[in-house]
Formats: sequence, structure tokens, C-alpha cells
Amino acid sequence: MLTIENLHARVGDREILKGLSLHVPAGEVHAIMGPNGSGKSTLAQVLAGREDYEVTAGRVLYQGQDLLALPPEERARAGVFLAFQYPIEIPGVNNAYLLKTALNAQRQAHGLQPMDAFEFMKLIKTKMELVHAPKDFLSRNVNQGFSGGEKKRNEILQMLLLEPKLAVLDETDSGLDVDAMRIISHGVNSLRSADRSMLVVTHYERLLELIVPDRVHVLAGGRIVKSGDRELARELDQRGYDWLQTGAKA
Amino acid sequence: MTATLPSLADRPLPGAGATWPRRRTALAELAAAGWPQRRRERWRYTDLEPLAQAGFNVAPAAPGDAELQTAAAMLESLTGSAPRLVFVDGHFSRQLSGALPSGLEALDLDAEWGKFDSGWAGSIPTTEHPLAALNTAFNQRGLWVRAHAGAEPLQPVHVVHIGSHRPQLAAQPRVLLEIGEGARLTLIEHIVDAGTGAGWLNVVTQVRQGARSQLDLYRLQQHGEQQAHTSLLAAELAADAELRVGYIDLGGRLVRNDIDIALRERGARVELFGLFVAGAGQHLDNHTTIVHAAPETHSDEAFRGIIGDHGRGVFNGKVVVRPKAQRIDARQSNDNLLLGSHAEIDTKPELEIYADDVKCSHGTTVGELDEDHLFYLRARGLNADDARQILTTAFAASVLERVRDEPLRTRLLDLVAARLGALKEKVA
Repeated sequence: MLTIENLHARVGDREILKGLSLHVPAGEVHAIMGPNGSGKSTLAQVLAGREDYEVTAGRVLYQGQDLLALPPEERARAGVFLAFQYPIEIPGVNNAYLLKTALNAQRQAHGLQPMDAFEFMKLIKTKMELVHAPKDFLSRNVNQGFSGGEKKRNEILQMLLLEPKLAVLDETDSGLDVDAMRIISHGVNSLRSADRSMLVVTHYERLLELIVPDRVHVLAGGRIVKSGDRELARELDQRGYDWLQTGAKA
Repeated sequence: MTATLPSLADRPLPGAGATWPRRRTALAELAAAGWPQRRRERWRYTDLEPLAQAGFNVAPAAPGDAELQTAAAMLESLTGSAPRLVFVDGHFSRQLSGALPSGLEALDLDAEWGKFDSGWAGSIPTTEHPLAALNTAFNQRGLWVRAHAGAEPLQPVHVVHIGSHRPQLAAQPRVLLEIGEGARLTLIEHIVDAGTGAGWLNVVTQVRQGARSQLDLYRLQQHGEQQAHTSLLAAELAADAELRVGYIDLGGRLVRNDIDIALRERGARVELFGLFVAGAGQHLDNHTTIVHAAPETHSDEAFRGIIGDHGRGVFNGKVVVRPKAQRIDARQSNDNLLLGSHAEIDTKPELEIYADDVKCSHGTTVGELDEDHLFYLRARGLNADDARQILTTAFAASVLERVRDEPLRTRLLDLVAARLGALKEKVA
């Protein structure tokens, strides 16, 4: 599904990713863990196509095609979804309008007819139940006045609607209490399938008790310095990252 | 000075002989005040010299059957079956206008000239508003709308200004709105042109609101792209009166709106908002003045400008708080979106505060679309052009949300989205 080879990326003069390689097969959920400033969010943003990051070397293959050659909207329509760490508030843009426009942009890219308002409402309501979204979610402006937890739920709602092939969750657990984390994990797990992959970026092991990963990678100093199964996450939770970072520099 | 006002004084005055003394007075005041010049601060960014030089006919004859027929054909789509008052080339046409709801009456200004002269005509300072004097001198068949005390018509009343195909006209419509105590009225003004020629509309609207009255006054300006437009809205509010004014400027080549609101008595409130969209070659200027002349008066002003490449916007918002006007609340904002490297806005808040127990705030922003917003929408599969269009429309929509008349609000959103779409095509 996703193959990253020797990826280097920078913002301005600052190099953040320094030769990152990673392979996520179809159907698997991989977790990316690592200390602050290790490049986790940069990786998520580069995969989604943020232009502030300049890729200086390496390549990213998504379903066999060169992902980095595509503008953000084409990546999204091809099935790449980034759940933002800090979902953006957009005054004046209605949430239902964004959801419907996003869905129909994707359908159009796949040669499907746009979904009409009636069908859309039926569909979105089933998805809203999954993440316990309040009814006024649709009538409000995108993320405007949403609490931190509501914003994250709105991201997952978008993901459930768009049914991506590759979902990148950037610290979706940050700022959530246990109940909210359960609701969101339930939504995420409902999407797990043999033809869908996920990259779960997180600081904390506790999310991975709820979204159980097939593999866990440690990102430090802009590279993957260790990979393992879910036991690695537990070990990191107990021991921290220092013992690994030393190894990374050696 | 006379060089810039060629032959105005020599023009035959319109109307009955009884109206001439006031018209002559207005012309004399205009001559003394002088034509607006850019060296004067009020006119620094907007050059009206071309209007003086262009040889407009400032006192056009009444429209003929052909003009009225063209206008009639445009009315259905503008107002539907709602009550309407129609002007063609500045002349009120009773033939095209419908019956008014009970509690409202529309008088001919010409027939009431004596009262107009003594009560209204000279009440606008010519030094600040020389073009209002031009209007006083040359207006014909103006309109005096009265809402009787306590009147509450259910439907909005539409006031339609239509410019005909006739070339080089400077139409001078005059509208007086007298809102009786406790009356409530919504008025929707439409400004359109039948042709695409270079005309000039110089409209003056005067409002007097009695105690506890409420007026919602919305104005949709969709002039043809060669049209010049100057306007003055001068309103005075008595105790606890509420005025809501919304100006939507989408058309015209050279547009200057002056809005003067005086909160004369305790408890008077005004909400003043506007949206202007200036495409290539358009110059749109809003000059507003709100005077807090009494205690416990409130003003809430918000203008937004969307300036396309090679478009130009001007906003000047003045708020005056008189010495005895304590415990007032005045808010003002002007936010502008520039959509091209040759887009230009000149914006200036002016606060003159002579009382000490007041709450005043103002804020101005000028910027481009937010890159974070754009990326978020693109990351959801919207292409860059659509994302820009959505964000630009949203910027406009947040002002239009202040329109309380729902059918009008929906219609304005559609019209503005269409205008912004055309703006994008022109830029591309």
C-alpha cells in the first residue's frame, strides 16, 4: 500500500526527515511513535501534500504510484486521508457542505455521479452515530466553536465518510479523555479491512491499546530507528525513548 | 472651480417655478463648497473630476414609453409580486409601482416641495456632501415615504432604481423615509441598469426615525460595468429607534457611497454593514460617519471588501462621540481580502471621542486567503480553485449573515457567489 524510501524533507533550512524508510502492506495498521520534534507530524503532512515541506530526496509509493508527484487534492481523491492533529476552523463554511463537497469530489474522480442531498443525509447520519456526533454537527461551520474533542470526532467522521485506502492519523488522541478516545477508536476500528492501511502517529501507548497495531515504529531524529510488534509500544511506555535515541546517533 | 463645473449654473432648472429658489440655493451652495477634489481628505482616494468633465445631462427628461417598458420587463425578476416603488432614470414612476401595504404612503416630493424645502432640503451640510446639493438642485419626481406611527407591514417594500439605455444621463433620485413612532419596516433597494452605457446615478436617501421605530434598509447595487454611482444616506434616529443598514456593492465602475448616521437620542441603535466586491477596473468607496449624540446609544459597524486583481477599494469609517454621549458602545471593523498582486485597498478608521465613559473598538485587516484553510480543503479532495472560491464566498457570507430577511439573504449569497465566480474568470 505505502512504501517510503530514504525520505528527506525540510522546512526552510531545517532538515526534519533524514532518510526515513517504511513499508505498510495493505490491510495493516502501523503505529509511528517517537519523542517531540522527531518528525512525526512532518511525515504526516508530507504524505498529505503540504507544500511548506520540501522533499529533497527519496520517494513515496502509494499503490505503486509516485505519491509526491500529486497535488494534495489528487492524493485525497486517490484515497489518502490525513486526520489533522490540529483541525482547522473555517468560518463561513458549513460542515455538511464540506463533507458533501469532499465526498462528491472523490466520487467524481472515480467516475461516479454526485450524491444527492437526500442520499447524503442518510449516509452521513449512519456515520455520525458511529462517532456519537451531536445533531448540530452538520449545521455548524467547519470546526468553528468545536471543542477539542469535537474537532477530532469531526476528523474521524470525515474519514468514515470518505473511506480512504490509506488513513494517516496525526496524534488523533491528543487532548482527548478516555471516553472520547474510546469513541474515536471504535470509529477507526470499524474501518479496518484487508484493503485498507493506516498509519497511526501517537505519543502514547494507551491509544494503541484501543487501536491495536500490526507493527510499531519508532521515529527519532528524522529516521525510523526501531520497529517491532505491539510489545514495543509497551516497552516504550515504560522505558521512554532515551535508550533508543542514543542508538540512533551511534 | 467653475472650470470643473462646466455650465451647471446655466442649465435650465427642472420642476415648477416654485421649486427654483431652493434649487438655486443648492447650486449656489455647491458652487461655494466646490466640486470634490482629491486634495480634500474626504476625496483623497476617489477622483470625481471625470464626472465633472464628462458632460452628463444632470436633469434628464422624464423617461418615455420605451424606457418604462424596458424597466417593466426587469421588475418581475427583481421584486416578484412584493410591494415596490420604482424609479427610472431618477424619476419615480407611479405607473410601474404597486400599491403599498396599509400604514405606508408614498408622496410626490414635487407636490410637497414646500415642506421638503423647509424641513429636509437644507439639512445636509453641502461642504461635506456637495453632490447632495447637486441632487437637491436637479431631482425631479422624488419620493417621500411615510410609515405611520405603529405601522408594521408584514412584507418588505422594494425600492428599485433602474437606469435606462439613454446615454450620458446623470439621474438624481431623491427618497425621503419618515418612519413614525414604533413603526417597523424592511426596505430593499435594488440598483440596476438596463443598458451597459456610461451613466451616472447620484442618489440621496434621507431617513428620519421616530422613537422606538425599526427600519431594516438593505441595498443591492448591481450597476453595469461602465456606470458611475454616488450616493448619500443620511439618517437620524430618535430615542430607542433601531436602524439596520446593509450595503452590497457588486457593480459599477466608479462608486462612492457616503453613509451618515446620527444617533440623536438616548437608546438609539444602528447596525451598519457592507460587502463590496471590486473586480478589474472597479473603484468602490464607502465613507461612513456615525455620530453618537446622546447617551446609551449603540453602533455596530462591519464592512468587508473583496478586491480582485486591478480592482480598488476604499473604506473610511468615522465614529464621533459627542461630549454628553456617555455609556455608549461603538464597534467597527473592516476586513479585506486581496485576490491579486494588483488589488488595492485604502482603509482608515477615524475615532473622535469627546466623552469619557464609553466603549469603543475598531479593527482593520487586509490579507489574502489563509494557506492553512486552503490546504485543509485540498486535503479533503477539493481542487485549489474550488477551495479558493469556497473560502472567498465564506468570507463574504459572514457579512451577509447579518441580513435578517431570509429570502433576500439566500438570494444575496447566490448573487455574490456568482459575482465572485466571474471575478475569478476575469483574473484567470
